[in-house]
Amino acid sequence: MSRLEAKKPSLCKSEPLTSERVRATLSVLKGIVASCYGPSGRLKQLHNGLGGCVYTTSHSSALLANLSVTHPILKILTTSVQNHVSCFSDCGLFTAILCCNLIENVQKTGLMPTTVIKLNKHLLSLCTSYLKTEACGCRIPVDFSSTQILLCLVRSILTSKPACMLTRKEIDHISTLILRAFLLTIPENAEDHIIVGKSIIVPLKDQRVIDSTVLPGILIEMFEVQLMKILPLKKSGSLKVALFRASLSGDLSDTGEGTVVISYGVSLENAVLDQLLNLGRQLVSDHIDLVMCQKVIHPSLKQFLSMHHVIAIDRVGVALMEPLSKVTGTQPIGSLGSISPSSYGSLKDLCTAKFGFKHFFHLIPNETTMCSLLLCNRNDTAWDELKLTCQTALHVLQLTIKEPCVLLGGGCTETHLAAYIRHKTFNEPESIPQDDGYTQTELQLITEAFCSALESIAASLEHDGGEILTDMKYGHSWSVQADSPSVANWPDLLSRCGCGLYNSQEELDWSFLRSTRQPFPPQACLPCGAVGSANNLTLDCFTAKLSGLQGAVETANLILDISYVIEDKN
Amino acid sequence: MVMACRVINKRRHVGLQQLSSFAETGRTFLGPVKSSKFIIDEERHDSVLVSSTMRLLENLDLSSAVGQLLSEAVQAQNNAYGTGTSTLLFLAGAWSRAAEQCLHLGVPVSSVVSVMSEGLNSCIEAVSSLQIPVLNASDHADDAQTFPGLHSHSVTFCPFLPIPADTGLVQKENDLGDASPSVTISSLPGRPVKSADLLRTQSKEEADENTSHTPQTLSNSLRADTRCRKSVLIHSRHFNRVGENQWTSKPDGFLEHQRVATPRTHKCKDVAELEAGLSHGDGSSMKLVDAAAQLQCLKAGVQRGRRAAPGTFDISGVFTCCLPGLPETWSCVCAGYVTVVSVSSAALIEELQSQPLRVTLIEGDLTENYRHLGFNGAAKVRTELEGVAAHQARSEVLWTDQVLQVLDKFNVKLVLVRGSVSEPLIEKCIRSKRLVIGSVNGGAMQALAEASRAVRVAYITQVTEDCVGSGVRVAFWRRVPAGVDRVSSMAVVLQTEGMDLVTAVLTGPVSAQMQTKEDRFWTCARRLHCALKEQKVFLGGGAVEFLCLSHLQSLVGQPVNKGNQASSGGLPYTSSWLASSLALHRPTVLKCLARGWHQYLSTLLCNTAHSSSEFEASAFIQHHLQSATDSGSPASYILNEYSKLNSGIFNSGISNKVEQIPRVYDVVTPKTEAWRRALDLVLLVLQTDSEIITGLGHTQLTSQQAEGFLLL
Repeated sequence: MSRLEAKKPSLCKSEPLTSERVRATLSVLKGIVASCYGPSGRLKQLHNGLGGCVYTTSHSSALLANLSVTHPILKILTTSVQNHVSCFSDCGLFTAILCCNLIENVQKTGLMPTTVIKLNKHLLSLCTSYLKTEACGCRIPVDFSSTQILLCLVRSILTSKPACMLTRKEIDHISTLILRAFLLTIPENAEDHIIVGKSIIVPLKDQRVIDSTVLPGILIEMFEVQLMKILPLKKSGSLKVALFRASLSGDLSDTGEGTVVISYGVSLENAVLDQLLNLGRQLVSDHIDLVMCQKVIHPSLKQFLSMHHVIAIDRVGVALMEPLSKVTGTQPIGSLGSISPSSYGSLKDLCTAKFGFKHFFHLIPNETTMCSLLLCNRNDTAWDELKLTCQTALHVLQLTIKEPCVLLGGGCTETHLAAYIRHKTFNEPESIPQDDGYTQTELQLITEAFCSALESIAASLEHDGGEILTDMKYGHSWSVQADSPSVANWPDLLSRCGCGLYNSQEELDWSFLRSTRQPFPPQACLPCGAVGSANNLTLDCFTAKLSGLQGAVETANLILDISYVIEDKN
Repeated sequence: MVMACRVINKRRHVGLQQLSSFAETGRTFLGPVKSSKFIIDEERHDSVLVSSTMRLLENLDLSSAVGQLLSEAVQAQNNAYGTGTSTLLFLAGAWSRAAEQCLHLGVPVSSVVSVMSEGLNSCIEAVSSLQIPVLNASDHADDAQTFPGLHSHSVTFCPFLPIPADTGLVQKENDLGDASPSVTISSLPGRPVKSADLLRTQSKEEADENTSHTPQTLSNSLRADTRCRKSVLIHSRHFNRVGENQWTSKPDGFLEHQRVATPRTHKCKDVAELEAGLSHGDGSSMKLVDAAAQLQCLKAGVQRGRRAAPGTFDISGVFTCCLPGLPETWSCVCAGYVTVVSVSSAALIEELQSQPLRVTLIEGDLTENYRHLGFNGAAKVRTELEGVAAHQARSEVLWTDQVLQVLDKFNVKLVLVRGSVSEPLIEKCIRSKRLVIGSVNGGAMQALAEASRAVRVAYITQVTEDCVGSGVRVAFWRRVPAGVDRVSSMAVVLQTEGMDLVTAVLTGPVSAQMQTKEDRFWTCARRLHCALKEQKVFLGGGAVEFLCLSHLQSLVGQPVNKGNQASSGGLPYTSSWLASSLALHRPTVLKCLARGWHQYLSTLLCNTAHSSSEFEASAFIQHHLQSATDSGSPASYILNEYSKLNSGIFNSGISNKVEQIPRVYDVVTPKTEAWRRALDLVLLVLQTDSEIITGLGHTQLTSQQAEGFLLL
């Protein structure tokens, strides 16, 4: 007899943003992400309180992946940031903070969501079109003939994650390695469109950071010491390679629900092993020199292969399958049946190497855009953070090739952009479409909300009670100790702006970010030559930041637009 | 799922406090005299005896976030170097108190982080002046008869802690030295050879022939060649002075540096002195390590048909075998692999021990239902029986017969198995005069495979003529006197031509101490390995820490040099106001950091019972600190104090035979890495401002607990 239960009615809440609880949780989330931001950002310990794994991080992807949020509004926010991070790796915290700030600031104005959304869109397009113009004052073209700008970019990314626990010297070392790894992934003879290769990060924990290194080709960890004794290889030319996706461990195929009944004296295992040995015979007759398998190879098959001077490497793992198939030109083989000769590939050389306590096979392909970054750090926590950061840096370098320019970091882009928008809406209101049914006051209010959201990103870089100033010429951001007298001798108190481009001796006027100031047109930065000579700039990825800006504004608009949350209680 | 977020950085930093209380538990492990601890589990009425940081942390409940970070850091240090964990633990505690004090004094977190890490970097640079090159001045075969450091004094002496706690150790070790066979292993003509004689290598020519076949040993000898070439001048005493000039041109540059800094050149001249210096009061373990190193060297030399210098110590070829219940004096080092077998095969071993055996090596278990790693057999296979009952039992018998057939076919007398072996099989094999030994170490299998030219297989059915090795000999480790013979297991030695494995057999009457003995042996082995690999050591006994302390004090007085600071690993973000306000906070933070070193030294003095109280220790350090500052160059002050050690000024009351007081040495990279790891841990915790606990429901929080939480 079945029992029917009446369905519960859905729960519908209107104007979710006005609820006190939602506001409180939003501000907790904002507190978490904003306190992680920048080189002096604070770390978060994430764990389940039951003795599970502890993550210590300030990286947005690690942070958001482990946060479990319940409210749909927070879910929208975290999902959109995670989406951004998965596409661009960088600027995740930036996006999250900007989005929270925008929602918070706009709510304070008390304007109609439709007006706000419309105006936000206008302001966003003002920003993006400015950032995309040559005249933009906060972007620097990248000169690929020198490594300086690229090194600064990588170094900025590494310094922004304190949980990597690197010293200055180690940061320099790792930055150079990352750049070298990136350059190794670029094909030598570029045609119309280049296909950038991949850098594989190989873990080598518990060692000194300085022992990290980059090698062209692929490293595969050796599990059995026995394999160290590689049989002397044929000297002539390259190695012929077969790569298996299917397990060669002699597994019986899954019978599902049913049971296989066999008569006495029949051994399924032997039958499968015979099949494997047949496969081995085919490989030998096809003159294969190296067999690699994602999973396990049956010991008997291994023995058979090694008797015929074929090297067998098993337990390669799924992560290496794609790079392996790419560098060797093989088609991964998925069955034990007959193998078409077209699925074989080749390799220039194979040798063994030892780093730390680990032994590796080093596969050297004929023509390579693959490299292995052997990354060391003192402990697991710092290694995990360093790995994420290196991945970000490598990705950012790829993005920079597509769009060869970088943005000024250290909060300067944000304050500069805010100054530009203020100037546009106050002094040149015609730059914004007028016919959209909003008043000039509303425009002013929203501009203020938008600009102060941007500026508070720069303020989020401060975690020790400092304050942010902006200069009235370039619109860059400058940090100063709290409680400084407001009519101080600024040039002596300040040293350099956030990105490091200007120093305080340039006869500038300053004003606190929190105080109101007359809108001014921010000037473009120095000509290229002067920028090139400036060392130690703090830089940000152009593509990631631009997309983070767009993502944040669009997500904020989406959240502001929500008028009902309907919850199915069943 | 609801997530809670706890702010931990308000006024008092909970994480730092936790760290310092964890570290307090390991306080007595610092220094050469370690007091053991009992850890008692009140619920299960268990108790464990621990005497090292690693074992202590293993047995503590470290499920809190900070506890996990701590045990992660200690484990990483232990995996990488096997030494320095007590230093790490202590400094983590001392510096977490230092960091907390900085917070109390209102120093911004970022300033603490940058000044502390800059300060430690600067210390690490400064202590390089106390590095001493290790020269292989001793031709080991000549020196084999005397180890002055180890024989006469195995207890640590150092300028700042001259009196060891238990001088009884010295006596004990002298006794040990006479009784133990370990020191008498040597192939010099006319010398007594005790335990190694039955395994003695037969002829050099044969050994040479062996090596030419295996690429592995070939590369070994190549490596040895380059090593010999490098140190050929240094080995000879006659060329020693010439050799010195060579050393000054080494790219490391530390020697030149040292020459400028000191009036006297310090060198660690021979391995015996080095070992004595690295033993840190644990002479008995170091003596075994020394014997292992010598034996390894000897074997390597015989294999290549010439004498090799003890320039390296390959710990991957060293094994330990613990035999609780036997007298301590039986501890020794044997050539070959020593393992424990059941006493039931005694008669068989008696029979087999005079002849070379054919051997099969099995990876994994030797049981009927063992399958190789990664094999997932489908469980739903049912065999149609043809009226045969008791099929299960029969298949086991069938399998055993099959194994015996294979062994018989290839005339295999010895089967070594990595995993476990089925009991009925062992019995059947004994009946057919074959010895099966389970739980053999993987590294030993590898070495045996290479030396006997056997190929390791996963299944017995894989065995072919090519897989079977030959020439392995099995023997009793030692004739056990009738009185002790009532144990169910006994030790056997496996040996073969051309295998340079060495096993340290550790015995002791108290089985609770076996773990400690093994740990201590490995600590000494890793230290020696590292010192020989790096070819340099620190002056030990608190000298480097003392220099750090005095260096930091001098840094406190120095004004910040902006250009200099950027290069020496200070703030990564030079544009922040923190950079300019650094000068203000720098002295405070450096003083706190220095206090950590001070605590380290005074704890060291108290632990070794040199000082009866913290106060006395503190006064002692202060006195030397003042003298060091007055002398103008702290590094040369320390080196001078070290020279005085030999003239007996510091320890006039202890020993009249001043020449025999060995210096104390420390390994370089493990030490500095332990410092860095300790500071990294503290800074990681310091920079953490909140703890996010996922999956915590409202219901799990009592109202009192909920106070500190923000809910998301």
